[in-house]
Amino acid sequence: MSRLRIAGVGFLNAAPLMQGLAEDPSVELYLGPPSEVARRLNEGECDVALVPVAAAATLGEVDVLDVGIVARGPVRSVVIAAGEPISQLERLALDASSRTSVVLARLELAARGSHAGDKGRVVARPPHEVIAGIGGTVGGVIIGDPALEIEGRFPHVLDLGQAWNERTGLPFVFAGWAAKRGTFTDAIVGRLRRAAAEGVAARDAIATAYARARGREPEAFVSYLRDSISHPIDDAAEQGLHRFLREAAEAKLLPPPDLRVVRSGQPPARQRPSLDSLLVRVADGGRLSASEGMRLYEEASLFDLGLAADQVRRRKNASDVVTYIVDRNVNYTNVCTTSCRFCAFYRPVGHEEGYVLSREVLGKKLQEVVDAGGVQILLQGGLNPGLRIEWYEDLFRWIKATYGLGLHALSPEEILHLAQLESLDVATVLRRLNAAGLDSVPGGGAEILVDRVRRMIAKAKCTSDEWLGVMRTAHHMGLRSSGTMMYGTVDTAAERIAHLVKLRDLQDETGGFTAFFCWDFQYERGTRIASGDHGTVLYLRTQAIARLMLDNVDHVGASWVTQGPHVGQVALRFGADDWGSVMFEENVVSSAGTTFRMDAARIEDLVHRAGYRVVRRNVRYEHLGQPA
Amino acid sequence: MRSARFSEIEAKVRSGARLDEGDALALFEEPDLLALGALANQAREARHGDRTYFNRNVRLETTNVCYASCNFCSFAKLEEGMPGAHTMTVAQAIEALRRKIDPASPPTEVHVVNGLHKGLPFSYYEELLSAMRREFPYAHRKCFTAVEIHFFAQHYQMTVREVFERLMAAGLESLPGGGAEILHEDVRRKISDDKATGEEWLAVHREAHALGMMTNATMLYGHIETFAHRVDHLMRLRRLQDESVARGKGRFQAFIPLAFHPDGNGMQQLPGPTGVDDLRTLAVSRLTLDNFDHIKAYWVSSTPKVAQIGLSFGADDVDGTIVGETIYTAANKKAPDGLSVDDLVRLIREAGRIPVERDTLYRVVQEYPRAALEGQFKVRERKQGKHLSVVSGS
Repeated sequence: MSRLRIAGVGFLNAAPLMQGLAEDPSVELYLGPPSEVARRLNEGECDVALVPVAAAATLGEVDVLDVGIVARGPVRSVVIAAGEPISQLERLALDASSRTSVVLARLELAARGSHAGDKGRVVARPPHEVIAGIGGTVGGVIIGDPALEIEGRFPHVLDLGQAWNERTGLPFVFAGWAAKRGTFTDAIVGRLRRAAAEGVAARDAIATAYARARGREPEAFVSYLRDSISHPIDDAAEQGLHRFLREAAEAKLLPPPDLRVVRSGQPPARQRPSLDSLLVRVADGGRLSASEGMRLYEEASLFDLGLAADQVRRRKNASDVVTYIVDRNVNYTNVCTTSCRFCAFYRPVGHEEGYVLSREVLGKKLQEVVDAGGVQILLQGGLNPGLRIEWYEDLFRWIKATYGLGLHALSPEEILHLAQLESLDVATVLRRLNAAGLDSVPGGGAEILVDRVRRMIAKAKCTSDEWLGVMRTAHHMGLRSSGTMMYGTVDTAAERIAHLVKLRDLQDETGGFTAFFCWDFQYERGTRIASGDHGTVLYLRTQAIARLMLDNVDHVGASWVTQGPHVGQVALRFGADDWGSVMFEENVVSSAGTTFRMDAARIEDLVHRAGYRVVRRNVRYEHLGQPA
Repeated sequence: MRSARFSEIEAKVRSGARLDEGDALALFEEPDLLALGALANQAREARHGDRTYFNRNVRLETTNVCYASCNFCSFAKLEEGMPGAHTMTVAQAIEALRRKIDPASPPTEVHVVNGLHKGLPFSYYEELLSAMRREFPYAHRKCFTAVEIHFFAQHYQMTVREVFERLMAAGLESLPGGGAEILHEDVRRKISDDKATGEEWLAVHREAHALGMMTNATMLYGHIETFAHRVDHLMRLRRLQDESVARGKGRFQAFIPLAFHPDGNGMQQLPGPTGVDDLRTLAVSRLTLDNFDHIKAYWVSSTPKVAQIGLSFGADDVDGTIVGETIYTAANKKAPDGLSVDDLVRLIREAGRIPVERDTLYRVVQEYPRAALEGQFKVRERKQGKHLSVVSGS
């Protein structure tokens, strides 16, 4: 029999649950940060995981065993630390690795009338940077062992376990052993309980060893495990858990509570909500968990998905106005080092067909954009090691000075490439490009933000976390970006949903995505990957489920370049309120044989004949003129 | 969003009552496209479930010489000798078919449509049919639109019945649905003044049905006609179908809305219908033509991408592989030249439906299993394989 795959957390508070498992040869134990543990459960890389309850709620259709990490008063290891009184904080830096603590921090600040936890005021950072960044009106959410290590360093500390307990009178459940619904067995439950019982019996020794290994006095750590943390999720703790999930759902930070706490391997069967009730909830602005999204994506009829997406579209954009932008997609170089299997456009370094556009050619293209009433260019290219950051800075300044066009330029992959090439960090690269004229970051290269898929189709490309990290940095600098998804290679439906959840989580933090676009992989000769799931019906279903999942993104665009203008028109009824751009050229997609092109008059005619008014926009989706 | 009128019509459809002209017009004007589609989809699924039909067919046009001067046509050349005019001999026609037919995957149908050529003897058509019967006995002969039959009767001075009797003796088995355009006189006079009138077109089909032949019906939409003209067209077809069904011999099998393509013809200043109009027209047709078994999303006219969506808006048939089509090709169609059986099966599966290969008379040739879509494809090494034209190339 294969070994039981368990993912757990390396924090001291989880050590009593883990200790017995680490030595068990029938268990394959992984220890990592809570966010990675949740990802493994979500993506099927483990059977059981100790996950933050917020991550479990986002995943949906998860059973939580009545063993976890509970605080019945002050917790000490989840705190907001600050140099000024908590009530005076304006912004919050946080360690995003525990979504539960992040949501709790936001709820407690909001309950105290503080705005420091609002969207756009929080920024995720690695733990050491959170601590380094605390000062003035910036507070930090510190979780896990680092919180114990900074005890006494900051004058103002809000213990979030204590804050919750004082406000609600209930314990707070931070994490629990979780498995996909119905997959706990008595054997698994028995194994986890035995480990917990042994661990709790040995907790003083565990704490002492932990302290000694860090050269610290054991006392504080022993009392932490004894007094601050408990492991059973009893009735009171379960009440606290449900209260937390309800408040988070009301604040639109999590989907409505769908977790159940189980006490054995054979929990009573539970009825799943009907598709209708999910559709009604989401059309009313409610949040879907990943499993609920999957159910709708796979089981709801095309029309139900479309009608619900159309309702959400109208909640976001009550008018009958569809926007589009006059811009031009310029691929400044086709030289690229990543050799993605789905790309027919790139040429390797040194290839005779490789090019970098000259100022002369570029200038002609840009002048055409200006002449056509265009307001921006979308500038993207391959990862060309011959182009240094100064080349981009000069180019951007020249474009701004000569043509005054908006610069929607360089996808995260290109930013990361520049950072690596120049040995700079991403923030510095973005700051320099921004100073030279960069206005917004296109969402290209997201493909599917699940690393299994990325490894198969674009091995040399950045990881999901790197892609999201560039967007996070850009958003916090005030740059806006689009979010995209290219599906239809080796990705499964569940991976598309996981992609949407990752975008939604980041959007909760930054609010920096203006719009979302998706399209299916365009198969053609020259690409080295077989075609997966496709078709216009799947496109409409995918666009609609994206509109339903991304409840915090304002706009969804119809990808008529890949689907054709007639399908693009129909897509306006499936949740889209934007028509993308008048395309002068789009080298990447057209290399794959898709050559739809349209001028502004034709776009306006199609939008009108779909029953909408139309207006041009800029990259921030502000209307340029009156809708007609 | 949906109109109050729509809810009334919806109740009527659910109760099984027949829609009248006012209902059909309201459906064409209904702002809520998805509500309309969902209702048509119910009617489609009540008849056919997920089953979706296609056939293996070959198209042949043996002459494009045509005295009629229809404004919407990019195909016909008026006289022999004009640039691009061509007429095949019977031997050339058989040879052309031989080139189009893949013996490994023989068609079950040959579909022949021609210009109205005044210089050919009637025996040309008889010989063509009997040669096809001799050379390709396995392929059903679905030949000549009602406009051609009407022209034969006039030009060769026979009754329509006599024309049919001679052609059927030579091998004619059923009639395609072309030439209907818009049946209403006001439109027909403007777009195709010099061929069979709407009533004459209907009379030919009436006669065909009386002789036990199965036929189809089309409607060319998206040019100068109004929604009221489309409704009138549907109602005339429905009335004739009532008669034919009552007689119990031949009848219309399928209704095929044809999207007007404005390239290279006398109405190229018009924009042509859009995807939304294509779907709306399929849906209203399904709901109105309650005595037609099949509604066809003809992929050549609407592109495979829109046809695939059409399978959720009332259509249950995508036509066939259509090797060798030249009429929409002359109007710069956006669809590819012919699809393989694999392409069609895939197109139907991607719509979540069950592909069923049929013959001309809708007898099942092969039913394909339904496909699981997500996640079944694997990365392969560089494949210089066939372009998946259905989904990515058109």
